[in-house]
Order: sequence, then C-alpha cells, then structure tokens
Amino acid sequence: MAANDTLPRGKTRSGWSLFIWQIGIYTAYFAQFVKSRLAYRMDFLIDTLAISVSIVIQMAVLTTLFSKVKALDGWSFPEVLFIYGFSLVPLGLFNLISVNLYRFSDQYIIQGKMDRVLLRPVGTLTQVLCESFNISGLNEILLGSGVMIYAARELGLQPGVGHILGLVILAPGAALVYAGVFLAITSVTFWYEDRMGLAPPVYNMIRFSRYPITIYSLPVRVFLTFVLPFAWVAFYPATWFLGSPGFARAALLTPVVGLIVFGGAVMIWRRGISRYASTGS
Amino acid sequence: MPGAGTTVTGGIEAAAASAPERLLPWGRSLPATWGLYLSFVRLSFLKFLAYRLRYYTGVISYTIFISGHYYIYTALFASSAPAADGTVSIGGLSLPEMITYVAVSWIGRSFYFNNIARELSRMVTEGEIAMQLIKPFHLQTVMLSEAVGESCFRLMMFTLPIVVVIVPLFHLRGPADPALYLWTFLSFCLALVIYSQWNFLVGCLAFYLKNIQGVLRAQMVSMDFLTGVLIPFTLFPHWFQTAVQWLPFQGISYIPVTIFLGKRPGNELYHALGLQLFWAAFLFILARLVFRVAVRRVIAQGG
Repeated sequence: MAANDTLPRGKTRSGWSLFIWQIGIYTAYFAQFVKSRLAYRMDFLIDTLAISVSIVIQMAVLTTLFSKVKALDGWSFPEVLFIYGFSLVPLGLFNLISVNLYRFSDQYIIQGKMDRVLLRPVGTLTQVLCESFNISGLNEILLGSGVMIYAARELGLQPGVGHILGLVILAPGAALVYAGVFLAITSVTFWYEDRMGLAPPVYNMIRFSRYPITIYSLPVRVFLTFVLPFAWVAFYPATWFLGSPGFARAALLTPVVGLIVFGGAVMIWRRGISRYASTGS
Repeated sequence: MPGAGTTVTGGIEAAAASAPERLLPWGRSLPATWGLYLSFVRLSFLKFLAYRLRYYTGVISYTIFISGHYYIYTALFASSAPAADGTVSIGGLSLPEMITYVAVSWIGRSFYFNNIARELSRMVTEGEIAMQLIKPFHLQTVMLSEAVGESCFRLMMFTLPIVVVIVPLFHLRGPADPALYLWTFLSFCLALVIYSQWNFLVGCLAFYLKNIQGVLRAQMVSMDFLTGVLIPFTLFPHWFQTAVQWLPFQGISYIPVTIFLGKRPGNELYHALGLQLFWAAFLFILARLVFRVAVRRVIAQGG
C-alpha cells in the first residue's frame, strides 16, 4: 500500500476527507504489519501458549481462593471470573497497539527514531501507535471472551444482542482508559527521560483492578475510580453485564471516562511534541 | 561485510569438549579460582549499583503486590465462617499470619529474583555465547556468581527499602525466636541458588528453540504460583500439595516463609533446609550436565 500516493503535494485536508484518509493510513499500516508477521506464525502460537498459561494460573488462584469461601465480600466465583474474563478483552485491544508506549523513551527519544516520525505527513501519535501493531492482543481478546462466556453460563446469563452491543461499546471504552493512562506516562518522557520507569508499577496494578473494588478500603476505591482510573477497565464495565445494583449504571460512563482519559493524554502528548528537541543523532 | 557469514564451528566445539579443563586452564589453584569468581560477584554488584535508580519504582511495585494481596486475604477471611472458638483460620493460617506470609514471600522474592534465563537465552540468540565459551571460566558458575552479586545489591538497595515501607504499613511482627531470622535468611540464600540454577536450565532451552520468549513468559507467570508466592500451599487441594512437595519450587519461597512463620519446629527445620540443599546441589549438577550437552549445538557466525 503506497500511502504517499494519496497525498498530492500542496493540498491540505479537512473534515471527512482527513478522517477517511487517516483510516486509509491505519489500514495500510495494518496490512503491512500482517504481511511482516505472516513470516512469524510460530511467534503468535507461542504467545497463545504464554497467555493461556497465565490465564490457567489466574483461574487456579481464583478457584483455590473460592474453595475456602462461598463468596468473596458478596461476590460469587462466576461473578469474579466474569470480571476477570471481561478485563482481558480491553487489555487485548490495548495490547494491539501498546508495545511502542513501553519502549518509547528508549527507541524514539534516546535512539532518535522520533525525528523520522516528525518528518512524515501523518499524525505523530498515529505513527507511533501503528508502528507497534501486535497481533498477539487477539489472544487475550479471544481467550478472555471464552472465560467470560463460561462464567456467564455458570451465572445463567442468557447472552443476547444487547450484551454483544454492550461489549462493543464498553470494551473499547475500557481500552481507551488503558491507552490514556499509558500514553500519559509515556508522554512524560518528553520532559524527563524515563530512567525511573513509572510504567511497571502502574502496569502491575492492573492485576488488582480485576477484583471487585468493594474489597478495597475507601481511599483505594477513590484512587482507582478518579486518580488512576483502573476501576473502569474491568470492574465497572463488567458490572453492567452482571446487573449489580449501584454499579451497573456507573458502568455506562465507561466510554465517557475512556474519552476523557485518552483525550487528556493526547493533550499531554501534543505539549510534549511541541517541546521535543532531538538528540541530534 | 567481509568475514560475516563465515561459519566457525570447529573451534567452539573443541572448546566445549574440553570444558572440564577450562576450569583450571593454567593450572590455577582452587583459591585462585574462587577469587576469580568472587570478582564476578563484586563486578555484578557494582554494575547493578549503577542502575539503582530503576529500583525505586520497584519498591512501589512490591508495595502494590503486597497491598493488593492484603485486601484480597482480608476479604477472604471476613467472608469465611469462624470456627467454634470465634477465630478464623484458612489453610492453618490466621489472618495476621497470612499477611505476614504474603509480605515475607514478596520481600524474599525481591532478594532472590534474577533474569538468568533471559540473559542466557539472549547470549545464545545473539551469538554472544561464543565469546563466553572461549573465556577461561565456566559460564554457569560465572552466572551464579553474578546472581549472587545481584542479590547482594538487591538486599541493600531493594529488599531493605521494601522492608522499611512494608513492616510499619502492615504492622508486621517477626518471630519470637530471633534465631529464626538467621534461618530464614539462610533459607532464602539457598532459594537463590535453586532459583538461579532452575533459570539457567530454562535458559539452556534457547540452544534448542528458535523462539524462547513465550517459554520465558510462561515460566515467569507459573513460577510465582509454583513457589508459593501467590498462594500458600496449604490452601491448595490435597493432591496438589502432594505434587508440589516433589518439585524444587517449594524451596524458593514456601520453605523460607514457613520457617519465618515458625511452622517448622524442631527437626523439621533441618529437614526443610536439607531438602533445599539437596535441590540446590541437584539442580547445579543437572544444569552443568545439560549445558555440556546443549553447548555442542552452538554454531557461531564469524566476523
């Protein structure tokens, strides 16, 4: 796909034509990526293995905990399992484009790949995210859906069109929360070279966002809802399917929260770009 | 590039075949050999000291791990029915014991953890292994020495700060018998040997597999489960408890932590430490043998 052919010199785009053109760019990136990846089919299978093992371990942990109690703070085993399964879907969506966010400081700032990005007539964020397409995110989406369907059957939930529609709206909304949080952390590297590594502790917090947040103390709940909004990546949206009183309505705010968090992160990113000074290499 | 693509196998294989001689290549005395490996411990310590800033956020990560499990277990105990005397005990542990278990197992992990498997597989994939093989040291012992150096660094710059944060945060109480602190530390030192030798064995898979990343990730997530970091073994169903007793992983976390909790009175303490010693020696010898066979597969690119 020659994306450059679609951009005649001296012409500027606006509105719909810009949007359509951007979609074309994404498609081109994706097609290019799939071509390069087809050579490494084993990588995908090996990734499937790694993610399956981690899901089996997580389910073993939950099974062991629930072998001791009927319910954890009022949440039954299938309910907690459902939240876990749901959490993997937005995580998988996010993982499709997240790799470069983790290595941005090293590869783009220190090694100077950012210069090349700035020279091209496509949005900087589009390029950085698309250059890291990682198909193994599909593993989490598929396996997470499997866990979710199993849990739903245990709960006696009849999956209907409404549920699928809810998933299509809530999962990308939750993925935007992930993307926003990690984009904001990545953008900080424009000001400070990321020698400290803020991303790992934040990433490590994800695993605890998969439990019902009612088990946490009030300050932690407030923190996970408003400060580092990981309660919106799994717990709140999942309660919409579970119909939990008090939470199911809040769940519908997930896409709004996602847009706010991601929008805020994009603003930080743009400020960072404007003060970017190349290493000159 | 001139020279690139020239395959030199003969030299490497010859070097590998004479592996035992390479240990004492110039008639080096045993103390001299020890001194040399000790310098690897020192150099590794200094190398990690240069990157100590990275470990500050690690303290936050470990605090998150311990806090998260604190809340999960608190909810678990609150949700389970008390016994006749009004106390709640799960898997033979009371809630304060459970919190101590979680904290000590993560604190121990901050000490024994290393990335030998990843490092060895990187050497094999990138071909650096060839340069390692022509040096007059045994790579396995070098990597063990480096792991010891790394853990010395971790103890001072990582484990200690975590202890300073965690102990007051969760009002942790140590064992009444002060000797148990020493036994626990000794036990975690043996854990370091078991952990590093297991990792070395996993890294050796890189000689046989083209892509080892998935295996490394799978073993990373299973390790914390099989060592008892994620959940104390006593919570597992009976058959699983029996199974893990035959595996080396209990010597990495479950044994040291239960020693700290005073769950191994009298001779059981020495049995536990003896078992760790056995696994450490067994895995060390096994890794030596596996490496000797695996290294014959090395085909290095010249240039």
